[in-house]
Amino acid sequence: MKDKINSVLSEAKTKIAEAASESGLQSVKSAYVGKQGSLTLLMKELPKLDAALRPEMGKLLNQAKNQVTELIDAKRTELKLKASEVSPDFDCSVPGIMPSGGGLHPITQMCYDLNDTFRSMGFEIFEEDEITSELYAFDKLNFPPNHPARESMDTYWLEGHDSGSTNEKLCLRPHLTGGSVRYMQTHKPPYRFVYPGRVYRNETTDAHHERAFFQYEALIVDKDITFTSGKVMIQSILSKVFGRHVPVRMRSGFFPFVEPGFEIDMQCQVCGGKGCSVCKHVGWIEVMPGGSPHPNVLRAAGLDPDVYTGFYVNIGLDRLVMMRYGVDDVRLFHSADLRFLKQFK
Amino acid sequence: MKLSLSWIKDFVNIPEDMDLKKLAYDLTMSTVEVEDVEYLARRFDNMIVGVIEKIEAHPNADRLRVCKVDIGGGEIRDIVCGGSNLEEGMRVAVSCPGAVVRWHGEGEPVVIKNSKLRGVESYGMICASDEIGLGDLFPAKQEAEILDLSAFDVPAGTSLADALDMNDVILEIDNKSMTNRPDLWGHYGIAREIAALYDLQLAEIRPFETDVQSDFRVEIEDPDRCTRFMGVEMSGVYVKPSPYKMQNRLWKAGMRPINALVDITNYVMLATGSPSHAYDADNIVDHIVVRHAKEDEKLMLLNDKVLDLCTDDLVIADGEGPVGLAGVMGGAKDSILPKTERVILEVANFDAAGIRRTALRYDNRTEASARYEKAIDPERCEQAVALSMQYFKELYPELKVTGFCDNYVKKLNRAQIDVSLSWLEKRLGKHLTNDVIRGKLEKLGFDVQIDGDNMHVTAPTWRSTGDISIKDDVMEEVARMYGYDNFDATEFTTTFTGAINQKDKSLIRNIKEYLAIRCGMQEVYTYPWMNDVFVNAVLQSTDGILRLSTPPAPDLSCIRSSLLPNLCEAVAKNERYFNDFAIFEEAQVFFDRNYTSVYDPTESLPEQRRHIGAAFASDVKDINTLFREVKGVLEYMPRYTHMEAFEFRKEEKPVWADNVVWLNIYLGDKRIGDMGLVAKKVSMDCGIKNLSVMLFELDAAKLQPLKSRTNKFTHLAEYPETDYDISMLFDSNVEWNDIYDAVMGQKKASALLKEASFVDEYRGKQIPQGKKSVTIRLTIGSDEKTLTSQEIESAANQVMKKLGKKMGAELRTQ
Repeated sequence: MKDKINSVLSEAKTKIAEAASESGLQSVKSAYVGKQGSLTLLMKELPKLDAALRPEMGKLLNQAKNQVTELIDAKRTELKLKASEVSPDFDCSVPGIMPSGGGLHPITQMCYDLNDTFRSMGFEIFEEDEITSELYAFDKLNFPPNHPARESMDTYWLEGHDSGSTNEKLCLRPHLTGGSVRYMQTHKPPYRFVYPGRVYRNETTDAHHERAFFQYEALIVDKDITFTSGKVMIQSILSKVFGRHVPVRMRSGFFPFVEPGFEIDMQCQVCGGKGCSVCKHVGWIEVMPGGSPHPNVLRAAGLDPDVYTGFYVNIGLDRLVMMRYGVDDVRLFHSADLRFLKQFK
Repeated sequence: MKLSLSWIKDFVNIPEDMDLKKLAYDLTMSTVEVEDVEYLARRFDNMIVGVIEKIEAHPNADRLRVCKVDIGGGEIRDIVCGGSNLEEGMRVAVSCPGAVVRWHGEGEPVVIKNSKLRGVESYGMICASDEIGLGDLFPAKQEAEILDLSAFDVPAGTSLADALDMNDVILEIDNKSMTNRPDLWGHYGIAREIAALYDLQLAEIRPFETDVQSDFRVEIEDPDRCTRFMGVEMSGVYVKPSPYKMQNRLWKAGMRPINALVDITNYVMLATGSPSHAYDADNIVDHIVVRHAKEDEKLMLLNDKVLDLCTDDLVIADGEGPVGLAGVMGGAKDSILPKTERVILEVANFDAAGIRRTALRYDNRTEASARYEKAIDPERCEQAVALSMQYFKELYPELKVTGFCDNYVKKLNRAQIDVSLSWLEKRLGKHLTNDVIRGKLEKLGFDVQIDGDNMHVTAPTWRSTGDISIKDDVMEEVARMYGYDNFDATEFTTTFTGAINQKDKSLIRNIKEYLAIRCGMQEVYTYPWMNDVFVNAVLQSTDGILRLSTPPAPDLSCIRSSLLPNLCEAVAKNERYFNDFAIFEEAQVFFDRNYTSVYDPTESLPEQRRHIGAAFASDVKDINTLFREVKGVLEYMPRYTHMEAFEFRKEEKPVWADNVVWLNIYLGDKRIGDMGLVAKKVSMDCGIKNLSVMLFELDAAKLQPLKSRTNKFTHLAEYPETDYDISMLFDSNVEWNDIYDAVMGQKKASALLKEASFVDEYRGKQIPQGKKSVTIRLTIGSDEKTLTSQEIESAANQVMKKLGKKMGAELRTQ
């Protein structure tokens, strides 16, 4: 009997040690200490034994039973700690649950990125009212009276304010530059500021033309600045937007408020300058006008053009965002269509 | 403007091997934007001149013929054609397989293939002029007329491009890039610029000379408005078509040939940039006077438009009255007609601003007025007269000049500018030698005298009408001729006087980022104009709203005084695709009041403010949840964005709001905005079908950014605090504000009470009618010891007792 008990016990110990799962452990438990377990059955044989042997064997059996139960419990704890809380077929490839999804308008995003860049270079951010007078939209920018260039920007005039002298005529600003004169009038030079804002043109709209669009103007005015300093500003804008160095070229362009004036082109980012349908096969895309503020504009702002000069660029944010993401219809920006806007994180 | 390269070559000896891509690039970089370089002959690829040998009936169609066409090299092909003017022996334009045509001159281009027409094999097609883009050059006189090229004496099989002199290159120049360069508006002007760029020889146009003596004269009454008038009177002319070469060039430049007399004037304008006009001399009574129109005078133009003139208009008049609108368009009375035998050629110069005013006044802008209004130099008249007379004599060998005059009443002075060379170097950021500077300018026709640091520059006449007037203009000329590509970027330096701290700008950005990123809302942009439907629905009045005088559409004339109408429109538009969303917009709003300007005393601008508006739309949340969500966004905003906290009051219901669910937003005593549920009727008027919509709008300029962060530190509680929830029954109309006041107000309900917060409220089953159950979370604790459960309960009891006494609340027992 004693040997039997010992052999069952050592057999049980091995089985417990070998058990690899809780269910395996459960079957070990029933095999030894369950109702039909081998230790339980041995217990049932006790009455058949000599009365003298019974107490000792009973004690031995109880100890064995307790030991097995303890070992099983210990093993179960050990298995539990090792095991995962979920079944092994848990799918880790299902998509995550997003934090509630809002976002800034893609043009706001671009504008803030550029603001950060220019702020780090010591530029202030300037904003101005959108209704202006013809005086600031054209006169102060060196547009001669009755000059055809006044018409090149078809302007939205306000009812009841659309005739009379230029300080009486009011419109939705056709460009930002008039506001820059306001800034210069009310601040002391040197200036370096950026001026983001929406401008309006009375045009027929299509995928590439909008009545309301965003400009981003950057202006630096100081003593002894050469027009070539402007290249630094242009590079800063484009490398921020595209995340890499983008070749640019400056060519002759005419705008009444700058002298000299430039059209600034960037290398086409679709074909890398080789020529494609996007850039009309020239490899370059016109992105912004620029130039040194015309002496008459500086005078209008109360500055002596013999002392001060500067550089100005004015970039269309809509077009930049379109190029950056391949958006093919400028009207989407003002559509308030969430199917479009939600794409920009 | 379209320019023919062969025409430019009349004036400058461009080398045959010149890379045209480079020419276009160089012109673009330094002068004007060349938008396109078109090899014209490519339009006529696979097109040839064929000769119709024989015409046979089509076996299966009455209207069609089968033509046996000689296509060169003795090859005869069958071509099926429905032309109405087919004749044997006729030379015709044949589009062979591979050619690109447009059916009847309309629609998309089509590539010609060998095909069967009603069962008969046809080798390409015999073309009408408009099918191959030549409708303006060879206008058809009748229906289904094919292009008759019999006048072109070329053998069958000659390529159409060769036969019609189309081996040319068209440069298309962006007109906008030369609004400031009146000298460039013609082939000669561009030729002059090319000559300067490449140091090439520019052809001279020899002046016209005559010794004719007669009483022909022209009178100029206002020398400020008409600075020069050259007139040539001649006889021995008549109406006939101009030679093909002239027609061909007019067409390449985008004009339609008319007759030789008119074509010469247009041709000379395209060549020199100087407009001219030919009058039927027999219709001129007495002599020509250039004068202001008189009050009540009328003029019928060439295009039969009758104008009621005003005294600001300059007219060409004869003894009877106006015969032309100076610099804009000729009159009907003296125009060239088939019976014309004598003409007076006018080559004149007019004041730019005056021409522009007149052209705009009658909405009658012409090629001539477009050129005059850019300020042409009067010296150019001589070129134009010389070239015109050259062609008149060529086309009419029998012509006689019977009169000539040159009234040059206001001489153009060449612009004189002094430029300091050290200033120039500073602005260029690069040292250029005097020889380089002088060389660049002299090539452009400037006279240059250098004396020490001073450079005295005299601009050529063609640059002296306003284009070149200050030293910055001279600098631009030097820089562009030197090549902008040849200047490197230079760094700029600055002194910092302190960190840039623009709290107002940062606040708006913080708010927008808070709404978008923290609150999960989407920023939208809408236009500044509002649709009348939404103005009427949401604002319900147009008082104080500014309007556009030429709106994008008749119902879009109001410009916004509030962001809410457009936000409601955006909600309505998005309802189709989304049923639970929140949007916001930050933009300017405008009011027809408080006109003022801080910048110029004569200016007066309306009140303009910056608003932030938002719309929350859902058909899944109940109103209570939606309301609390919106209020939460507003309540947390000041804290997140570091601004003065605002409070909610119920003073005046916004017109668009539901009768119950609305609040005014106050900062101190100032109302800075509203929030509320959109009333059912408003929602319906906006076309919003199923969504409940909450709105808020804030006046961003009234928000006050904090000067720095205002967080407060309190020591961590030394003894534990316990949350203890109580639920009590209140009268249904009791407000949380009052409950909170009673518990936490001046006299706290218990000294151990740290905070009381709203958990939820409940109306419905198990709650008696007219009552609601409010669950309140009490935070109870002491600074001196750990409380026993009895002490906690007794503090809670004190609260309940006070609520019972002050608010009539009962403990919820069921």
